[in-house]
Amino acid sequence: MTSHISYWIAGDPRPAFKTARFGKDRLVPLQEAAETPAILHDTFDGQVASAGCMLLSEGDELILLGIVKPIRQTGSAPGFVSDMESGPVRDALAGFVSSLRRLSPLGEVVIVRQPMALLDDLDKTLARGDLTVLTAKEGGSAAYLSATPLRGYDKALGRLSSGLAEIRVSGLLDARGAVSTLLPAALRQDLKPEIEMTAGTTAFRAATDIIDAQLDLARAHEPGTIADVDSEFLHQYRVALRKVRSVLSLFKGVYAPEETADLKARFGALMAQTGTLRDLDVYLIERESYLALVPEPLRPGLELLFEDIAADRAKAQEALARHLESDDYSREMRRLQKRFAKDGKKLAKGPEAERKARDLARQLIWKRYRKVCKIAGSIDASTPDAQVHELRIHCKKLRYLMEFFTPIFPEAEIKPLLKALKRLQDVLGTFNDCAVQKDALAGRLEAGDGRRSARKLEIAKSLGALLTVLDQRQRSARSEVEARFAAFNSPATRAGFAKLFKSAGAKP
Amino acid sequence: MKIIACYSNKGGVGKTATSVNLAQSIAEAGHRVLLCDLDPQGASGFYFRVKPSKALKDEQFFKDVKRFTDAIRGSDYDNLDVLPANMSFRDFDIFLSRMKNSQSRLKKALKAGGTEYDIVVLDCPPNISTLSENVFRASDAIVVPVIPTTLSERTFEQLLHFFKEKKLVRKKILGFFSMAQGSKTLHGETMARMRKTHGKRLLDVTVPFATDVEKMGIHRAPVSTFARSSAAAKAYDALWRDVMDRL
Repeated sequence: MTSHISYWIAGDPRPAFKTARFGKDRLVPLQEAAETPAILHDTFDGQVASAGCMLLSEGDELILLGIVKPIRQTGSAPGFVSDMESGPVRDALAGFVSSLRRLSPLGEVVIVRQPMALLDDLDKTLARGDLTVLTAKEGGSAAYLSATPLRGYDKALGRLSSGLAEIRVSGLLDARGAVSTLLPAALRQDLKPEIEMTAGTTAFRAATDIIDAQLDLARAHEPGTIADVDSEFLHQYRVALRKVRSVLSLFKGVYAPEETADLKARFGALMAQTGTLRDLDVYLIERESYLALVPEPLRPGLELLFEDIAADRAKAQEALARHLESDDYSREMRRLQKRFAKDGKKLAKGPEAERKARDLARQLIWKRYRKVCKIAGSIDASTPDAQVHELRIHCKKLRYLMEFFTPIFPEAEIKPLLKALKRLQDVLGTFNDCAVQKDALAGRLEAGDGRRSARKLEIAKSLGALLTVLDQRQRSARSEVEARFAAFNSPATRAGFAKLFKSAGAKP
Repeated sequence: MKIIACYSNKGGVGKTATSVNLAQSIAEAGHRVLLCDLDPQGASGFYFRVKPSKALKDEQFFKDVKRFTDAIRGSDYDNLDVLPANMSFRDFDIFLSRMKNSQSRLKKALKAGGTEYDIVVLDCPPNISTLSENVFRASDAIVVPVIPTTLSERTFEQLLHFFKEKKLVRKKILGFFSMAQGSKTLHGETMARMRKTHGKRLLDVTVPFATDVEKMGIHRAPVSTFARSSAAAKAYDALWRDVMDRL
């Protein structure tokens, strides 16, 4: 029955509140407020702001704004949510901040916290509120107001709500807008670049724009990778480079063959530097789930394995950081960026360069889709694993193609197809992850110098158990492939692919 | 849920002051309290700055649970809500006379509408009527302010007589001396005499005559919120403890 309101407001609304009337009601401060310095925190990709919230630390207290009333708990500066002291702020953050992302300081602000009351003409309290005014050192300010009505006064809250919009003290924002108002440079707005494509866009232009944007994205993740803030930086760096490579290999004929070969080799070399660290990151991310997979007595052995992996990872991280900080690396990146900048003037064009991106996309997607259907259709229980791997790779390429060209197709039509494809990819992904991890872990078992034999034996026993479980998982994913493809191969999805991507002369 | 009525068949004895201060003290102690103003003059609501409710009209008080609960307003104090009166409450006797089981309708309405509360405090109009009979039957305790004068003594005895005649539970009656002035010989004598004859029906608390209580009308707030250490505030504090002990 009780409703509440909360708003992000641009600027400091207190002067406006002094004179504002909401019907016969007015919003008054309940006590003198003190100014305290605080630090604003978020993940690199702004997960707190995206959830409509703002996280602040004020001395040894944490404040989370955005979920009705301000939430507070004691705790030192936040990092990974799982490492934070337990309390209501941590509990709320756990709901929307990825366990892989670290919360880092964005900048300093001064906060004023002011309890407020909505009073009528008899000075009766109709609603209670909290106003938090935040001001950045550079002078930008924003505020968060939340209010809850006393019983029976929901209508007064409605008047306040519509009044706030009317008085236009300064304008209403969302949390992301509030962070930008305070610290304009704090949150990058370009982590999900939207490539402009129209019916007239050429294949060359589309490919070049996509690569240009992905290169920027890769560079944006370099500092966090070097500083080892969290494993997502390297992951996103690799995703960006992988997309570049996909464009190069999938958009055949857009660039001249020798150009394509040169670029493929150079991006391949960049990617190769990152593989070791990423693999080790993945083990450590899976740590808890691996431990849960093996029986209790075998866990200490696995813990030893993770100790080794963590030590290897530290070395790999140092090596990668050195690489990313090297002059050779930054020179190479600058050169590559230059090639794709300014509409790719310096790039040698191939025979397909001037084709319409839309036509090329339809041709490529349709061809890849038919290949997926052909392989998947032939898979049954007796099919060798190699063919399942092949299906996975085609699905991945199909997915990338569709995602690159999403802007030129009607969103409502391409989104359901992508969703259907993702569901098929999930089971293939599990199948592949198990296979890769099995091989890599078995490799760890065989490698080594033969010393510390007791320790090695304990690790080996636990690893044996883990490999068995991973194998079972892989089998189970494998057995699901047929059914998942049948679901993907529904009449609606088939019709959707044909409608969007099949050209008049194409094979059925 | 327990129901405490503040009642007197004589006017001007401090009923509303008692209801307001009692309700606020009980709420402050952590109980969820609904102060239900049955007096069409709406003085309880006035003290809490709650405007009369227009939506709860005529028989709806007894018949329409949703309208009853919708008319409840949060006071400025934690745990304390108010159901304000309006002028249509003056016709409660007429509505009740039209209804079946007219003597238990109030209890039914309060049980249905007051489920969220530990205590419902009733501020009652000063008369003996069908409504008061409902109050007597519904309540677990009937707190009766008595000014120690001959006339008040007489009305108190009338009340006891009425209970006897109607076979109501006399133990529910918890009288206390209100607006007592120690300097007046008459007050002293009346109190002594009544404690002798009606000792079981009287609480030990005596609320003195105090300008702070009169000032409630200016502050439009319970006495403890603006004069916490006053004699009156202390007496009301003792009163709610005594009343709760008897429940």
